Parts: sequence; structure tokens; C-alpha cells
Amino acid sequence: MKIVVCIKQVPASSDAKIDPETKRIIREGMKAVLNPFDTYAVEEAVQLRNRFGGEVIVLSMGPEKAAHSLREAISVGADRAVLLSDRAFGGSDTWATSYALAKAVEKIGGVDLVICGKQAVDGDTAQVGPGIAAHLDWVQATYVLKVEDASETGIRVRRMNEDGYDVCEVDFPAVLTVLKDINRPRVPTLKGSLAALREEIPVWKPADIGAELEKIGLDGSPTRVVKTAPPPPRNTVTRVLEGTPAESVRELVKDLRTRGIL
Amino acid sequence: MKEHIGKKLYQVELGPPKQDTEKLLEDLELFRQKYDRVMDSGYVVGITDNAMGLMAFQGHETIQELGLRVIPEQVMIHLNTFHTKGNLHEILDACRDMGIRYLLVVSGDGSDRLPKLQPDDLGFAGVVEAVTAVELIEYIHREYPGVFEIGAAFNPYEPAEHEFEKLERKLKAGATFVITQPIIEQNAVVDEMLKRFPGLTVFVEAWMSKRISLLSEAVGYEIPEDTAFDPIETLKSLHRLYPNCGVYLSLLGFKTQYHLLHDTWA
Repeated sequence: MKIVVCIKQVPASSDAKIDPETKRIIREGMKAVLNPFDTYAVEEAVQLRNRFGGEVIVLSMGPEKAAHSLREAISVGADRAVLLSDRAFGGSDTWATSYALAKAVEKIGGVDLVICGKQAVDGDTAQVGPGIAAHLDWVQATYVLKVEDASETGIRVRRMNEDGYDVCEVDFPAVLTVLKDINRPRVPTLKGSLAALREEIPVWKPADIGAELEKIGLDGSPTRVVKTAPPPPRNTVTRVLEGTPAESVRELVKDLRTRGIL
Repeated sequence: MKEHIGKKLYQVELGPPKQDTEKLLEDLELFRQKYDRVMDSGYVVGITDNAMGLMAFQGHETIQELGLRVIPEQVMIHLNTFHTKGNLHEILDACRDMGIRYLLVVSGDGSDRLPKLQPDDLGFAGVVEAVTAVELIEYIHREYPGVFEIGAAFNPYEPAEHEFEKLERKLKAGATFVITQPIIEQNAVVDEMLKRFPGLTVFVEAWMSKRISLLSEAVGYEIPEDTAFDPIETLKSLHRLYPNCGVYLSLLGFKTQYHLLHDTWA
């Protein structure tokens, strides 16, 4: 089974700053990490590869330092990585990004399955996975919380919907986006991390994947961010519970039950 | 561990490189230098286990990968409850095989990326709702009889009676020495603990960073950022206040403080 996992390096902190002119995240000088949802995608791919054999390739588009996150994926079991990095990719929205990633999947060739995290925690759009499926014209299953069964030719998954879940069978080639419920990602070992450091990561340019320049970067991005604003502050009320610890706990439980939290 | 106090040997805390470091090789080299320096001094190195819930590499694998020498009397591995059972045994097997004798077993600070040992993993299903240091200590002694000498933590900033009761259980489970949370002056709860548990081998933790405000979280009250603090003088005063205790040094400055240690425990 040949699996591509698309990952993204995102700002480590939640206090990311937005450029007021471009309305984009200022990434310079900011500590970056592997998008948390993507760690579940990598783990699922590694588990499938361990079961069926084959190969897990991690793919990302971003600046050269995104190689660090690709190495993190290798340290927990991915076989190799590819980075799409070029100024021409800069400014891509989700449509242009998914186009470039889809072109890279085509270039890798022979891919059975693409797995993405549900969404990136910086953009929160959840559009790139479905976008890749659209560009490739592959079947997709989003918000997957469990792989129920798999074979060399297809996969049966449980996907979350607003009322519960669906069980879907999809034939390969296919795209999945996965939720945190799907597995518990393994923790990198030092041995794995050192091996990942030695791994050479090829950097592909638009020409390498046959991408049309007008379909990537700002030119290829139909999205226009017209306004950004911080979310309104939460109205929180601090209440100190009086009495003995036992009385306070009783009061707290009663209050939480009243609010439907317990 | 008792003999370390008699020989006036410090315990020096070291943290392995963080998982998210972007300069792993440099961090490993720094770890090696610090580790070797502690070994050369005859002190004990205490290697943390995902301290503060921040993901880091494990102590045993860092020692293995760097090929560091293990002097059994001088290495203590911290072990918390945030592991899979398989990972726990991997750590314990490696420690045993390397001849590491001391473990500091703590409940630990979790993270949503870390698994947590379940009661069923350690044979406590239906006995406890969650695995704490107590169950882990008991389990290690059961599975690795006679292999390790295990220490436990004591937090004088928790409600005292509750902490004494926990300490009782930790000792009953097989802990033979105790390391406190950092203290910076005479502490009434530590004094009471020494009274209640005479003969127990106790190490008080000395906070060696000048940034004493960072201790706020441990002590449970706000320490202003501009509070003046002299770690070396405080260390000397801890020796005077607790002459029968050993000292565990956290956040020790290897460039500015290490060379002063030799004359501090006179």
C-alpha cells in the first residue's frame, strides 16, 4: 500500500500575529511545529503500512524549515519525505495548495491513499484534504474517526457527521481526513529522530511537479481575506465557593449538573 | 542513597533534549558535557521524564545513543506514569541492563500527546481509579525484584496531612528515599515530615535559577518577577537548616554555578 500523508508546519503558539496588510500569519521568527491533527494522519498511515506493507511518504508545502516537521514524521515511522518549496508557491490559499499537493501526489505515482489531518490549526479551514481529492478526482472520506477494515484495494471507515457517524467503504485511490479519535500517535524515539536527521529530503519546485504557475501562489488563489479580527473575549465569571471542602465540592457538582456539564 | 548524604554528594538534575528542538545534535552534545561533568564530580545525575509535561527524549535512550558511561551509584532516572506499558518495560529493561540502580518515581505532568498507564496495565484494575506513583513503585518492585532503589517525591505545598498520607503509601509501596519540591527557606511541612519519618533518607530540592518567580507554580502563590534571589547563598542556608538531608539541585547553571558547588557543602 502506497500512502501519502500531507502535513503542514504551523505556528507553535496560539498568539500568532497577522500581517495587517496581507492578512496572513507572520511566520518569521515564530517557533513552528507539526500540525497536531497531522500526527494522527501519520500514525494511521504507519499502522496501515505495518499491516499491509508498502510505503509511507510525507508531503508538505512550505518554507525550507518545514523539513523539520517532515523529519518528525520520519522519526515516527514514515519512510521518506518530499517538500514543495519555492517562492512561486507563496501566498497559496487552500485551493492552490491542494492543487500543488495533488500534482505532487501524481508525480510520486502509484499512490493508493492520501491521508490528511482534519485541518490545520492555523487556518482551521479543513479544505485542503477535500481539495486534493477534488483535484485528483478521487473518492474521499472526511472526519474519519476509525478505520474499521482495510484491504489492498479499499478501506472501510467510520466518519463523524453532525448526528453521529457514517460507515463508508471507499475503493482506492482515495483521500481521507482524520480526527484525533482515530489513534494515539507514537512518541518519537531519539534513535528515530537521529535517523530522520540523516534522511535527505528532496525539494520540488513547480516545474518538478508540472504545476501551472497561474494555478499556484497568489495568482492561483481565488480566496481574498477582506478583514480579520480577533474573536470577542469570553465572558467568564469567577465564583469562589464558600464552606468546607465537602460542601464546596457538593455545590460545584450541583452547579455543573444544573448547567448540563455533568 | 543515604551514603550520598554522608559523602556530601549532590544530586544534579538534567533534562534530555526536547522533542521539538530544532538543534538536536547541539542539545545532545550539551547534555553529554553536563552528564560527564556530573560523573567526573562523583555527584548523582537525575534525568527528568517529560518534566512539566513538555515532551522530551527519555533518559535511558539518551544515555544509550550517546554511549555515556553509567556508574550505577551516580545515575538516577525519573519515571512518571505517562507511558504505555510496553514503553515502561522498555525503559525499565534498559535501565536494568545498563546497571542503573536509582529511579525517582513520580505521578508526573501529562500532556495530551502522552499515553497514561492504566490500572489494568499494572494489575490494579478495580483497585484504584488511576495509576499514581504509589502503584508504579509497587509494580516495579513486583516485576523487577531487588533491581532498583526507588525514591518518591514529597510536595510541602500540598495540604500537609494529605501529603503525609501519600508519603506513607509511597513508603509502604517500597520507596526508600524522598526528594522534596524546591524549598528556599526553612519549611514547616518539611520539618514535620522529618519528625514524623525519622530515619528516612530525604533530599531537599534547591532551586538554582536566579529567576525565583518561576517557582510560583510549585509553591502555589505568586512570587514577583523582581524578587532578588541568590541561589548559592540559599543553598548554603539549606545545608545549615537541614544538615541531615541531601540536596537535589534543579536548574543548576553549569557555567556560572557548578564550580562553586565544591565549597558550598563544607
